[in-house]
Amino acid sequence: MADERAAKILAAIGGADNVVELEPCITRLRCELEDDSLVDEAALRALGVHGVVRMGGAVQIVVGPEADVIASDIEDLL
Amino acid sequence: MTLRVLSPATGVVVPLSAVPDPVFAKAMVGPGVAVEPISAAGDVVAPIDGVVVTLHPHAFVVAGANGHAVLVHLGIDTVKMKGESFLPHVVKGESVRSGQPVIGWDPAAVSAAGYSPICPVVALDARGDALTGFAPGGPVTAGDQLFLWNP
Repeated sequence: MADERAAKILAAIGGADNVVELEPCITRLRCELEDDSLVDEAALRALGVHGVVRMGGAVQIVVGPEADVIASDIEDLL
Repeated sequence: MTLRVLSPATGVVVPLSAVPDPVFAKAMVGPGVAVEPISAAGDVVAPIDGVVVTLHPHAFVVAGANGHAVLVHLGIDTVKMKGESFLPHVVKGESVRSGQPVIGWDPAAVSAAGYSPICPVVALDARGDALTGFAPGGPVTAGDQLFLWNP
């Protein structure tokens, strides 16, 4: 279920308390986090994430073209 | 069926690896090529026949009849422009023909805002060896073949 995947992705970036801002962009979730070190890249990859890119103070999680849907599912959980 | 993927913009064909963004340069969402557009304002066109399944002011995905989906991204980090200088001509869910205008934009305004206007054209989730018939690096006109996506 998509909601479950969203919940697992949220857990792998440190949970709702760690999210300052989350924005989808076509294929990726741009996450501004309180603490980047809480990102569990292995867990994200196990969820089928294509890659994790850290740049410019944000963590970008490359989830594929369903990024918009996943982001709105995660926002429902915040 | 082999899918003929057309250039969404007039400009210069460059390898995806030249795109100043690791997600595209490392082909994390799929292989493809990029077009460095001419600076004149104009329309970006659909690369294939299909349905616009995702539409942002600065990027879109067209899914073809066989499920193959092509992503066109107008510039890098242009999500931060919040749609300014971009004018979508279609809505999400609309069917388009290859070559049909999808988004009007002004690459010079993107450059002026400090972003690269380069346009990655990505065969989403394609195998690296599924693409052939690449346009040679150099000038390209919107609607010219960029590559073939083989089944």
